[in-house]
Amino acid sequence: MSKSQIEDINRNIYDIKNEDNYDFKMKKGLTREIIEELSKQKNEPEWMKEFRLKALDVYESLELPTWGPDISELDMNDIATYVRPKSKLNSSWDDVPEDIKKTFDQLGIPDAEKESLAGVGAQYDSEVVYHSMKEELIQQGVIYTDMETAVREYPDVVKEHFMKCVPVYDHKFVALHGAVWSGGSFVYVPKGVKVDIPLQSYFRLNSPESGQFEHTLIIVDEGASLHFIEGCSAPKYNKVNLHAGCVELYVKDNAYLRYSTIENWSKNMFNLNTKKAIVGKNAKMEWVTGSFGSKISMLYPMSILNGENAKTEFTGISFAGKGQNLDNGFKVVHNAKNTSSLVNAKSISKDGGKCTYRSLVRITPNAGGSKSSVSCESLMLDDISISDTIPVNDIETDDVIFSHEAKIGKISDKTIFYLMSRGLSEEDAKAMIVRGFAYPISKELPVEYAVEMNNLINLELEGAIG
Amino acid sequence: MSEKLLEIKDLYVSAGEKEILKGMNLSIGKGEVHVIMGPNGSGKTTTANAIFNHPEYQKIKGSISLEGEDITNSKTDEIARKGVFMSFQLPEEIPGVSVTNFLKYAKNKITGKNVKIFEFKNELQKNMDELGIPKEAVDRSLNVGFSGGEKKKNEILQMLMLNPKLAILDETDSGLDVDAIRTVSKGIQMYKNENNAVLIITHNTKILKSLKVDYVHILVDGKIVKTGSAALATEIENEGYAKYKG
Amino acid sequence: MILNNTPVRTSKNFNINNIKIDEIALPTLVPFSNVKISGETDTMTVEKTKKFELHFTYGVGNVIEDCNQCLRVQVSGKESSPIKIEFDFDQENAALAENIEVIANENAEATVMILYRSDKEKTYFHQGALHVIAKKNAKIHVIVVNLLNVSSQHLMSMENEIDENASVDYTIVDFGAKTCISNWYSNILGEKAASSVNTIYLGSDEQFFDINYIAHLRGEKTNVNMEVQGALADKAKKHFKGTIDFKKGSKKAVGNENESCLLLSDEARSIALPMLLCSEEDVEGNHASSSGKIDTKSLFYIMSRGFSEKDAIKLVVKARFECVLQTIEDWQLREEILSRIDEELL
Repeated sequence: MSKSQIEDINRNIYDIKNEDNYDFKMKKGLTREIIEELSKQKNEPEWMKEFRLKALDVYESLELPTWGPDISELDMNDIATYVRPKSKLNSSWDDVPEDIKKTFDQLGIPDAEKESLAGVGAQYDSEVVYHSMKEELIQQGVIYTDMETAVREYPDVVKEHFMKCVPVYDHKFVALHGAVWSGGSFVYVPKGVKVDIPLQSYFRLNSPESGQFEHTLIIVDEGASLHFIEGCSAPKYNKVNLHAGCVELYVKDNAYLRYSTIENWSKNMFNLNTKKAIVGKNAKMEWVTGSFGSKISMLYPMSILNGENAKTEFTGISFAGKGQNLDNGFKVVHNAKNTSSLVNAKSISKDGGKCTYRSLVRITPNAGGSKSSVSCESLMLDDISISDTIPVNDIETDDVIFSHEAKIGKISDKTIFYLMSRGLSEEDAKAMIVRGFAYPISKELPVEYAVEMNNLINLELEGAIG
Repeated sequence: MSEKLLEIKDLYVSAGEKEILKGMNLSIGKGEVHVIMGPNGSGKTTTANAIFNHPEYQKIKGSISLEGEDITNSKTDEIARKGVFMSFQLPEEIPGVSVTNFLKYAKNKITGKNVKIFEFKNELQKNMDELGIPKEAVDRSLNVGFSGGEKKKNEILQMLMLNPKLAILDETDSGLDVDAIRTVSKGIQMYKNENNAVLIITHNTKILKSLKVDYVHILVDGKIVKTGSAALATEIENEGYAKYKG
Repeated sequence: MILNNTPVRTSKNFNINNIKIDEIALPTLVPFSNVKISGETDTMTVEKTKKFELHFTYGVGNVIEDCNQCLRVQVSGKESSPIKIEFDFDQENAALAENIEVIANENAEATVMILYRSDKEKTYFHQGALHVIAKKNAKIHVIVVNLLNVSSQHLMSMENEIDENASVDYTIVDFGAKTCISNWYSNILGEKAASSVNTIYLGSDEQFFDINYIAHLRGEKTNVNMEVQGALADKAKKHFKGTIDFKKGSKKAVGNENESCLLLSDEARSIALPMLLCSEEDVEGNHASSSGKIDTKSLFYIMSRGFSEKDAIKLVVKARFECVLQTIEDWQLREEILSRIDEELL
């Protein structure tokens, strides 16, 4: 997508609703019969069906979280867990049905693919409708496909890794995911292969009162490297939608993975997503996250540093406006010697929105010589919004260097005056300060996405200030 | 007398409960260099902030006009777009916004049109060279981690780039070493021409030595008590303000 | 028994929302007579009263409902020398549950010192409840020193109500007890009201600390400052939970929280939850938290000047604690605290 087009972007693009024109929509609710039907519809091997049913049992045995945002409004009896679009999986955009293709066109996905991506996956409701990757990567043995194909074609690898990094017992919504997962991407980068330009999966939820439960499984083998981008959006409906995806990342010894997310779900979405990475010796895992959408978000990507000298970085921003409660953060467990983590989290609250930074840094007794540095900054744009910082720092050994800093404040009047004395209106001045505040995150994103993020910020600030 | 640029008439300004300016009058014509000197608390910085209609200062009485147009109650950014610039004593730090991007954006706003990138970069480079600002400095976030001297030089760079009709320099020379003062004076000379004007607010006469000053005003207790030529600054340097107080 | 809840919960898996205590054998209260009160004046009095109840918003929680000491401190003037209340535990005075109320009237200024000491013979039980009311323009400095032995129990609840332009500042020394559970809450109500807590804690052996400090900033231009410095040796463990909550209306309020823990053993464990909660725009909140061992370079430097490693460690710990110790004017008490450091880090 060209830059000038992005600059003209407006919220309407995200809000375009297609007719709820599905091939199959599961009746709402969650029962054994529904799970069995789902497995049958997907034509899955028996082991996966068993897995789903076991996960359902776990789901029923676990409690809702006793902390964080109130999610009592979410009633699984009102959610259709599986909506199959009227499209098979395609490897050419020309074969994607017109209304679905139009949506992705407007989101700029096919253009981005041509210009700056090595491969693209696009999911519409519960199934992936498009998947494609550059020929030279296929030659090098890189696998990038939808999750269903992976279950069929690489059963051993999938069995070995699927929900092993994120076990279904982790929390209630992971168990739910295990029971009803559909779609998502599978990536395998063989030993030593460096994928220089990013792969991207885009998740679009069109159908009202439904859930999206895509599963992303990425294995970056020893010495390999990858940048993976995830984009999400949905049009707004009056009833709630649910996103309970799961991302499992295996970063093997000496490997490198960057996982970037621009999340712009509509503001009726419950985003209860789970992401976790297991990081090997000398390997590095980087998270870059921009969280703009959703009514409620509870999302705490996690790095488990299992190999010596493993490193992780988290760079994230949340922007909560009216009616939004974004409870985001990061978790890291240092579980080997000389590991390090660096966290730079920011949040912006306006118009009655609430941002919470919730986190865990745990340095286990095995992790002598480790370092962790955390910095949180929150910006309040008015006096009706809320910003909370709730970090837990659990240090179990002495040979560590740990530091945590957090700040809450507003844009200073002096700074606004300074910028206005240079000819900027008050709105322009505030927008410039907010963009500057977000810059440490936007600079980590590919340029198209950085521009998109700035546009989202400008869009969010419009009307809120002045 | 040259054409009028700025005219302050019988201005009374207070900050909170406290009245600071008490009947200030000042007239600046095109092509002129004015200096306001005065003891601490006499209202020097208040004058600059009042011209820019700083929200924390209330105008009780009087008026300010620019080229005959009343700007007493104009908003700060409108005043800037009409061609007034102020160099701050303590410039604000803006993390994440580079000097280049900031200047480009401000120049778009001030000129009301999109600057041509190539011309802009050339002009920026030329001015930086003259002021001895290293190339990489403009990629840094505006004023973040700048030393006192770097901040002041950056203010002068902004003045040159935005090319205002009237530049108000509030204590731009304070806390600077000899070399930095020389650079600042050089910047002012580069900027100065027949159609614009400079108002220097200072309590230091060093910077005045290398500039041709037309008028020196002594501000005491919110009022200009004496206006003279450059010689007046020398007198203050030798004798202080005692004579004009109380 | 579940005690010392945080004002806001986080994930249960992090094990820090509260503290579960099973092993405390509850004592039967008999009269506690080792109480020494000194420093009373015309405008500062301590009255031993009939039982009264104290109602706490937070607090550790009442492990025992009853109490065997009730004191009311009244301050009406400006006092330069402190009032000192000392509780000494021994075989005959093995359990104490006291309620203390401090009322500082308008414009009053005073220092109130409360000391808990014990011999090493037995396991003692202490449950303390301290309520401080500072009226307009009052300035109260409260010093709470826990030097109980390392096998005892210490449960301490402190709550403060602070009016316009008044301040309540605490110095807390928590060195004693096997289980030290401490709760401090300042309700900073009036315009320009302020509160601070300066704490040092020292853990050795298998000591466990659960420290829960909460400040609600409600009035305009209110201020709170939490400074917590600790050192943990052997298998000592601590939870620190610090919450600064900017409530609606606390415009131009400032809150700072600094927590730092020196780990002196690879089996020591430090968990910290420094929370900033904010529902008001024009405020400034900062927190910083750090932990780690003593920098080997500084240790080496000190040892090169002839100190043994143990002495060098003690020196660094004392230096860390200095900024808090400075707030105690009584030099004899300071010496007593310093010698306890020598003893514990033997």
